[in-house]
Amino acid sequence: MTQINMVQSLNKSLDQLMAEDERVIVLGEDVGRDGGVFRVTDTLLNKYGEERVIDTPLSELGIIGMAAGMAMHGLKPIAEIQFQDFIYPAFDQIVNNISKIRYRTGGRYSIPLVIRTPYGGGVRGGLYHSQSGESYFVHTAGLTVITPSNPYDAKGLLVSAYKRNDPVIFLEPKRLYRSVKAEVPDGLFEIEIGKAAKLKEGDEVSIITYGSMVPTVMNTVEKNGINADVIDLRTLLPMDIDAIIKTAKKTGRVITVHEAPRTLGVGAEISALIAERALDSLLAPIVRVAGYDIPFSYSHEDLNIPSEKRIMSAINRVLEY
Amino acid sequence: MDYAEALNMGIVGNLSNEQTISAYKTAVLARTLDIKIINAQRQGIIGFHVPNQGQEMIQIAIGMLSEKDDFIFNYYRDLALLLQRGVPLSLIFDQMLSNSNDLQKGRQMPDHFSFKEFNFTTVQSPVGAHLPLAVGAAYSIKYTKKKGIVIATFGDGATSTSDFHAALNLASVYNLSVLFVCENNGWAISLPSSKQTKAEIYKKGAAYNIPGKRVDGNDLISSLLGLQEALNYVRDGKGPYLVEATTYRIGPHSTSDDPKKYRSDEITDGSENDPIRRLENLMLKMGVVDPSFIQSVKAQAKEEIDKTMDERMTIPPVDPSTMFDDVYESPSWIQEEERREMNDSD
Repeated sequence: MTQINMVQSLNKSLDQLMAEDERVIVLGEDVGRDGGVFRVTDTLLNKYGEERVIDTPLSELGIIGMAAGMAMHGLKPIAEIQFQDFIYPAFDQIVNNISKIRYRTGGRYSIPLVIRTPYGGGVRGGLYHSQSGESYFVHTAGLTVITPSNPYDAKGLLVSAYKRNDPVIFLEPKRLYRSVKAEVPDGLFEIEIGKAAKLKEGDEVSIITYGSMVPTVMNTVEKNGINADVIDLRTLLPMDIDAIIKTAKKTGRVITVHEAPRTLGVGAEISALIAERALDSLLAPIVRVAGYDIPFSYSHEDLNIPSEKRIMSAINRVLEY
Repeated sequence: MDYAEALNMGIVGNLSNEQTISAYKTAVLARTLDIKIINAQRQGIIGFHVPNQGQEMIQIAIGMLSEKDDFIFNYYRDLALLLQRGVPLSLIFDQMLSNSNDLQKGRQMPDHFSFKEFNFTTVQSPVGAHLPLAVGAAYSIKYTKKKGIVIATFGDGATSTSDFHAALNLASVYNLSVLFVCENNGWAISLPSSKQTKAEIYKKGAAYNIPGKRVDGNDLISSLLGLQEALNYVRDGKGPYLVEATTYRIGPHSTSDDPKKYRSDEITDGSENDPIRRLENLMLKMGVVDPSFIQSVKAQAKEEIDKTMDERMTIPPVDPSTMFDDVYESPSWIQEEERREMNDSD
C-alpha cells in the first residue's frame, strides 16, 4: 500500500462508493468541474456525469434540503458544504428537518444523507473559513457527528456514514487534508460509528481529543515523553462513553483538547460525563484546552488554535496538582 | 366562472355530475370535520388546530387531479386535500388525538400529518422548509425514472422564505416536475398579503423562468381548469409551474389566536362567498342536486364524523416508552440511558 493523504483517501472512497452504488449522488458548490475547492471530489464528474455529480447553485439550504428530499425517496446523497462556516443558512434544514424526519414520521421515513464539510483553522482563512462548529450539531438529537483525524479513518468512517440510514455530519479537518499521510487499504472497509481510537497507552494522564487537534496532541506527548493515554473520539455524537470513563478511571487526570471554543464545547460534555460517573477516580480537575471564545481572527489564528505549548501547560497543571 | 362556460371550454368536459357531487361531499366533510375539531379543541380533547375553513375547493381540485404516484409535500392547512386523496377520517383523528394508533406515535402537533401510503410526506411547522425537499424528491423521481410528479402546497407567508426561492431556483435549474401551489388565503397569522409582498405571487416564478398562473381557489371549476393546464405542463416534463390559488381563511390562523385583534373583514361559514356555498349554488342552478340532497349530505357528514371521533377516542394514548424510539434507526446509548432514567423515576 502506498501512503496517501486525506483528500486522496476521501476522493477514492467517494469514487468507490459511486462505482458500487448508483443511488449515490454527490452535490454541492463547485464539486463537479472544479472538483471541490479542496479537490475532494476531483474527477468524479468525468466518471459519473452531471446527473450524479451536481454543481449546485449557491444555496446551502437548497443543497441540504434537496439532498434530504432525495434521501427520503430512495437515493443516497453525499452533500458537500464548501466550508463549515457556510452551513448556517441550512441550519433550519439540518436541525428542524433532516434530524427530525425519522422521529416525526414515527420511523416511516428516514434521511440517509451524509453532509461532508471542511472545518477548523490553520489555512489563513479568517473568520469565515476557519470555524469549528461541531457543538451546534452535537446538541441535536437525530444527527450523527463524525470527524476523522487521518486518511485511514477518513475512509472507514465515510463508508460507515454512507451505510447509516440516518443523517451524518461529516466534519473534515481541513488543516490535515494534505499534511498527514497514511497507508489506506484499497478496498472499502468500515470503522464503527461511536467507537473511539486509542492512539497511545499511558498511565499518568488522559488526553481526549479528536479531528484537527490529534497530530498536535500526539506531537506534544511524543516530544515531551509524556506517559499519556490518548483517545481520538472520531465520533462526537454519540461519543464513546466507555472509552472516556475507562481512561478517566485509569489515570485520574483528564485533559480535553479541541479547536472549537471552550464554552459548551465537546470538552464540557466530556467533563460532565466524567464528573457524573468517575468523580471518585479523579486526582486533579479536568482541564479543557480549547479555542478561545472569540471569533476566529485572521491575523492570530496560530494563537487561537491550541498549541503544543498550551497543551503541555495543561498537562503540567494536572500532573502537578 | 360559469359551469356551462367551463363545459364549453372542453377542459372539464369530462367532469361528470358524480364527480362534482363527490367533490362537494368531500368539501362538506372537510368543513364539518374542521368545526368538530375546533369544538374538541375548546373542550380540551384536541390540543391544537389550524382551521382549514374556506380553502376546501383548491385543495379538493389538487386532490382530484393528482395521481396515486405523485408525491405531495403539503403544509399544515390541507385537511380537504388529505380527504380527497383518500386518507380515512379514522387516521386523521388518530393523529389529532395522539392516540396509540397514530402513525407518528404522538410526536407531532395536530395537523402535522404524514401518510406514507397516500404519498403525503411529512409536515413541519417552520413555514416553507418542505419546499427544497419537494425538489429533491422530484430529482429522485427523474433519476430513478419512476412515475409521478411532486406537488407542493404552501401559504402566502411561505413565499417570503429563503426555502421558497431556493426551491423554485433548483426546480428550474434541473427542470424538475414540481407543481408549486400557493394557497393564498390572504393572511399569514396577522399579516395581510398586501404586507407580505408587493408583487403578485404567481409572477414570482418569472425570476426563475417558471410559468405562473392565478386561479380562483374558491371555485372548483376555476381551480380544476387552472390546475389542469399547469399539470399538463409539469407532467409533460417541461419543468416546474407555480399556481397561486386565491382563497380565503375564514377562521383564525390557529386555535391559539384571536383574529378580531388584527382583521375586520369576514366571510363567515355559509355566506355567499363561501366556496362550499358557491358550489352548492352552482349545482342547484344546474339542477344537479336539490336542496334536500344538500341537507342530507351535511347530516351524513356530521354523523360520520361524530361516530368516528367517538370511536377513536376510545383508543388509549401512546405508550411513553416509545418516546425514545426513532431518533435513529437504532437508539444510541444516550437514548437508552435516558429511557431507563425516565422509567426509574416513576
